[in-house]
Amino acid sequence: MKSYVLYPGCVMPTEQYAYEMSIREVFPLLDVKLVDQKGFSCCGEPIKSVNQMLSLALSARNISLAEKEGLDIFAPCPMCHLALSESKRILDSDPAMKKKINNFLADEGLTYEGKASIVSILDLLYDIIGIEKIKKLAKKPLNELKVATHYGCHLIRPSEIGRPDDSENPQKMEKILEAIGTKPLDYPEKLDCCGGLLTANLPESALTKTGQKLQKVQEQGFDAFIDTCPWCHRQYDSKQIKAGETVAAKLEVPVLYLTQLLGLSFGISSDKLGLDLNLSPVDKLNLGGK
Amino acid sequence: MSIIDLTSMGESQVNLRDEINERLSRLQDEISDYCYQCAKCTSGCEAHKLLELEPHKIVALLKRGLIDEMINSDLIWTCMSCFKCRERCPQKVAPVEVLFALKNMAVASGKQIPGNYTAMLQSVLSIGLLQDVKNITTRDNKSKNRSDLGLPEISKPTDPTKFQMMLSKLAVEKV
Repeated sequence: MKSYVLYPGCVMPTEQYAYEMSIREVFPLLDVKLVDQKGFSCCGEPIKSVNQMLSLALSARNISLAEKEGLDIFAPCPMCHLALSESKRILDSDPAMKKKINNFLADEGLTYEGKASIVSILDLLYDIIGIEKIKKLAKKPLNELKVATHYGCHLIRPSEIGRPDDSENPQKMEKILEAIGTKPLDYPEKLDCCGGLLTANLPESALTKTGQKLQKVQEQGFDAFIDTCPWCHRQYDSKQIKAGETVAAKLEVPVLYLTQLLGLSFGISSDKLGLDLNLSPVDKLNLGGK
Repeated sequence: MSIIDLTSMGESQVNLRDEINERLSRLQDEISDYCYQCAKCTSGCEAHKLLELEPHKIVALLKRGLIDEMINSDLIWTCMSCFKCRERCPQKVAPVEVLFALKNMAVASGKQIPGNYTAMLQSVLSIGLLQDVKNITTRDNKSKNRSDLGLPEISKPTDPTKFQMMLSKLAVEKV
């Protein structure tokens, strides 16, 4: 059994509880132990527009906290994963910057060393655990659900920083979803952004981006929309009705976290996967939700 | 520590402004020359379709040194950081990074920080997270919190004073 420090970030542990619940249920079944650690802060990525140095320092701080455990870090939120990975890349290649940042971290008795790897949800599921293991655990038939994937921009770009899948034609989510008996299909809008980061200053425009993509997904007759990012999920699931209003469409697309669907396939009860927290019409799928 | 320390034009900000200035002139000298205005960035820009952001023009304006004009414009705040421009540029120019530097400069120059950014920053400074834990509502209208759902206590900075000390140093020191 391999262990990782779970870096939860902000959005998942303060409101997107279904992602956290499903992660805590699914990974132990896949022989991955998640270790909780006190003291984490925001990764800094959402406030990069305000002060980039602050983002760098916050990420370095979080990595150094996890390094005390001597374990690698699992960051399920793509935005956190990008922030931590980018910090690591900068600090590992620039000794002067590393010294400077460590000088700040000293106040809290922390040191960034650069020993821990930063692992994303796709690294963990596809490359570390592997499709075979997922296939073996899949027991509940998912009736060849026709699913659309949404990776989230930060999970696949910028590839220069080292992202877990191809920036223009990502397929790892599709392979995982095939392994549990669903039918993922590509669609023209697959790489479109949810607009979530505009929520801070242009919330209406953010919702329009969300609505435009989801409307296309609905028109193409998908049964469900699967994501891995708490920011994107907040847009597509939690705010789906409002997003529909911005494009004058009645949206009824069931939206689930990848880990929720995995959990259902592994036979975990829908309560434990937080399925009643999804605000989109997931009941339509008859997967054992309320 | 208040948000003013991080964002005002006061004495303590001088070094931060120097750092961003340095970053901008580096982008101007080293990167904008490579741009030959093919506009591939703009053709894929997520903010272009909806909000008329044109990343290739941002690079062109940077090349001409029109930084004040840009930091006074709301346009720089329409970027949704999807990183497509950085990914697709045939010349490895990254308009998204130019936009980050410009937005940082706007803030360090005491321009109004748009929308909710102030609240987000304030929250990070006080509790370490973008927002505090929320009670959420289920599909059938029941209110739930972390412990109702069997989730452990949230991870956040254990000593806020020391955490804030670190952040305040950051805001004034030239990194």
